[in-house]
Amino acid sequence: MDEPTTPAPVIEPGYTFGTVTDKISSIVLTRPTSNGWLLGFGVAFLVSMGLLYAVGYLFLRGVGIWGVNIPVGWGFAIVNFVWWIGIGHAGTLISAILLLLRQSWRNSINRFAEAMTLFAVACAGMFPILHLGRPWLAYWLFPYPNTMRVWPQFRSPLVWDVFAVSTYGTISLLFWYVGLIPDLATLRDRSENRGAQIIYGMLAMGWRGSARHWARYETAYLLLAGLATPLVLSVHTVVSFDFAISILPGWHTTIFPPYFVAGAIYSGFAMVLMLAIPIRKFYGLEDFITDRHLNNSAKVMLATGLIVAYGYGMEAFMGWYSGNRYDSFLLWNRLHGPYAFFYYLLLISNLAIPQVLWIRKLRTSPFWLFLISGVILVGMWLERFIIVVVSLHRDFLTSSWGMYYPTRWDWMTYVGTIGFFLACMFLFLRLLPMISIFEMRTLLPEAEVKAE
Amino acid sequence: MKRTSIYGMMAEFDTPGDLVSAARRTYEAGYKKIDAYTPFPIEELSEAIGFHRNSVPLVVLIGGILGGCSGFGLQYWIHVINYPINVGGRPLNSWPAFIVVTFEMTILFAGIFAVLGMLALNGLPMPYHPVFNVPRFAFASKDRFFLIIFSSDPKYDAASTRRFLESLAPRSIAEVPS
Amino acid sequence: MSAARVNNLDLMAPPVVKVIQRRMVILGGVASVIVIVGAFIQPAVFFRAYLINFMDWLGICLGSMAILMLRHLTKGGWGMIIRRILGAAMRTLPLLALLFIPILFALPRLYPWARPLESIADNHLQEHLRDITRSYLSLHGFILRAVLYFAVWGALVFLLTKWSYEQDRPPLRDNSSRFKVLSGPGIILYAFTISFAAIDWTMSLDPSWISTIYPLIILIGELLSALCFAVLVERILADYKPMSELLKPEYVHDHGKFMLTFIMVWAYFSFSQWLIIWAGNLPEEITWYMKRLNGGWGFVGLALVLFHFTVPFVLLLSRPFKRDVTRLVWLAVWLLIMHYVDLFWIVEPNFSANFTVTWADVSVPLAMGGLWLAYFCRNLSSIPLVPAYDVFATEVLEPVHE
Repeated sequence: MDEPTTPAPVIEPGYTFGTVTDKISSIVLTRPTSNGWLLGFGVAFLVSMGLLYAVGYLFLRGVGIWGVNIPVGWGFAIVNFVWWIGIGHAGTLISAILLLLRQSWRNSINRFAEAMTLFAVACAGMFPILHLGRPWLAYWLFPYPNTMRVWPQFRSPLVWDVFAVSTYGTISLLFWYVGLIPDLATLRDRSENRGAQIIYGMLAMGWRGSARHWARYETAYLLLAGLATPLVLSVHTVVSFDFAISILPGWHTTIFPPYFVAGAIYSGFAMVLMLAIPIRKFYGLEDFITDRHLNNSAKVMLATGLIVAYGYGMEAFMGWYSGNRYDSFLLWNRLHGPYAFFYYLLLISNLAIPQVLWIRKLRTSPFWLFLISGVILVGMWLERFIIVVVSLHRDFLTSSWGMYYPTRWDWMTYVGTIGFFLACMFLFLRLLPMISIFEMRTLLPEAEVKAE
Repeated sequence: MKRTSIYGMMAEFDTPGDLVSAARRTYEAGYKKIDAYTPFPIEELSEAIGFHRNSVPLVVLIGGILGGCSGFGLQYWIHVINYPINVGGRPLNSWPAFIVVTFEMTILFAGIFAVLGMLALNGLPMPYHPVFNVPRFAFASKDRFFLIIFSSDPKYDAASTRRFLESLAPRSIAEVPS
Repeated sequence: MSAARVNNLDLMAPPVVKVIQRRMVILGGVASVIVIVGAFIQPAVFFRAYLINFMDWLGICLGSMAILMLRHLTKGGWGMIIRRILGAAMRTLPLLALLFIPILFALPRLYPWARPLESIADNHLQEHLRDITRSYLSLHGFILRAVLYFAVWGALVFLLTKWSYEQDRPPLRDNSSRFKVLSGPGIILYAFTISFAAIDWTMSLDPSWISTIYPLIILIGELLSALCFAVLVERILADYKPMSELLKPEYVHDHGKFMLTFIMVWAYFSFSQWLIIWAGNLPEEITWYMKRLNGGWGFVGLALVLFHFTVPFVLLLSRPFKRDVTRLVWLAVWLLIMHYVDLFWIVEPNFSANFTVTWADVSVPLAMGGLWLAYFCRNLSSIPLVPAYDVFATEVLEPVHE
């Protein structure tokens, strides 16, 4: 636990505006497409083809190909939806909340974390729509004037979800794009290739770095961060309302909003680390994504993991304290029911193992962090599985109890979204600067304007 | 009217500090129609070139109020006026349930207004701009800092302005054709 | 006390603290006499107000401890400048432990579970209490847990204070890693103990009602009131040396931001609880709100929405407002009052169906507050306002006027 008084640098010494610019933009502009990239993208692309296949078959046959049935009407689709959208939250947290808190170390990881958010939200958004049964009628969820003269039911959290997730997707995209504009201008000016110049030029919209523009830009960016911060909290809050607004034991509990938000950030940072650790290795970016980033991200995971633990504890205690037989039964069923194995696995991977992050050595070791992050991602997936399936499969009426078994189509869809997510990440790494160049420039010592 | 072919005079600097002090001196020397171009935001610069009125927050506020009102109004109109229906014994105006969508709409509108407002106030997208005619201006997005005095400035004069800019010890000076 | 002089600046609290202390002793003493007389005439009324006030002042004490630990984990000038204010508030814990004892003598008056089961008219509640009083809400359990909570808090306060004292004397030392090692687990301990204390002391006033977020609402209320109290003290001290030399607008700005964050979190927790219970509409849950929205209590609830959240929120959006301690302090005082109203709204409707304010709701705050503040002032003036020999204090110790 011994911390040196001066923290590790955010960016290794010896860089100038020029070298930072060249180092990041060359990954996109001049570096040849490596075999590793081709292999990685190829595999991810193939897996996402599996998603296409599974979805195509779903359209053909209906949700009957999945394992969902009464009593467990919310199976993998909702588990994956919550898992993915939770992962997305870390991106917004890094880009918005840490910006507001003036945590400048975020500058080297916010860009790809935001990209991660976008792709995760895209994966998440797929599931509720596929789960509709008639996905081609998804637009019925929006309030639009129609000849049937009916409207969405705004007292339902599922409609809130539509608004929350689509707002989240829109704002994340805007935030990401606004952050990209100055860097797109850099790529436009650095590029040697006429086609690239035109494409980056159009995307940069004629950005020229005027002081007036920067002033408005900074204000807009800060305000977007200020808006995105409550938004990101509200999104997972609304997701938690999907459960908590009902009266099912295990779902109807008031701690769900903060507990879901903490869990989302927990899994999101795990995903950020799982991406950042290989990226910084393969692209030689150890100077920009330093041990300090790993350490800080690990600390965030530790803190949010403890909030999640608090949630588990409070929920279990209140289940017992309430004296409500259904609440007590849920507790028993989690510990001794047919899915008990997964509950213990969840406790081990979400509560027990991450406690090793108290040790500083592990917080800065890429290998161990990568491993622990993987464990946390599995644990957070299991948490949603327990919440969705275990609560549903045995509720009030004993005669309507049942079991849930996922089918291969469930698995294929789930794994397919992981492939889709990774394929998008690979494309992003190849086509856009993965680290915000202009924000990295502000971190350099020479960026300081000395008082006259 | 005789100077329509010239957009302004541009000087190039190596460091942000040089640019800021040059901009201050230019503004103090009486040139008011000036601008600066930098590869990253510099807080002191906007004040140095005499830029104070930033109306982005106002635009965002308007967007937020508009979004919030329309969000709640939409739900109220649907559930109380246009299609009143009893769901689970809840009141027609179930305001606690309406708050969530109202909130999301506030954020959505405010966010969109922030981005579009910022772009509109900046006059973007603008595919062509005279400053891009200067070859070295490509470095404005990398590691160089530029100061421009527009030819529309009443004090602008090709010879005296060039002399003034030279007194600021820039790395290079270029006339910007429009 | 020459050690307390740095840069020609006496770091001890100004004499005004002593003046306030004397006045508070008088105020608290006189009010206490009235309260004690009243307590014998109308004990039922007295003990409700007593419980609310105990929770309120305990909140400032423990909230200060939590913010202090948060500061140790994150550093920053905002925390250094109020560090000793928080510390002085935290060290009032012995008084609060003492003040807890009278509650033990009034358990049956306050808590339905402490009464004989036969006296409970409601069959449903009686059945529920039969189980829970045997296993958890028993007299022994209540006392045992209270001792445990105070022991944990006492240990934290003791260590935080001891290491902080060391930094008033040379040599210059860096205790930050020690503080960090303590504060990480310390915050967890605080979160759990205050949660269970909130369940024991206020949630169990209605033993059939549960809400898993409720302890967090109490927790954030404590942080908010502690921060507001620190801003209030900071404002009083800002008229005198040394605080007038040290307080920078940036620090005040940070305090304003924390205030904004805390009221937003408070609103978030409170709204979540309300929406989930409102939508579920289960008889064992919604009755809690029924009591608090009828018989005049609804107006108190509405006042909380407007004045504990909406108005402060709008004010705190303004940057100049957050940076000016002379303006921020009014909001801080206002929020301290609203926090009290919040506790009042949580506790009091358990006892009276209609909104009432009694003599005790006026005099008990004066009595307990007077004594508490006197003790606080004593703590504040006993050591320097900034630990001069903390390596991180230099940032704060550079006078503003240079």
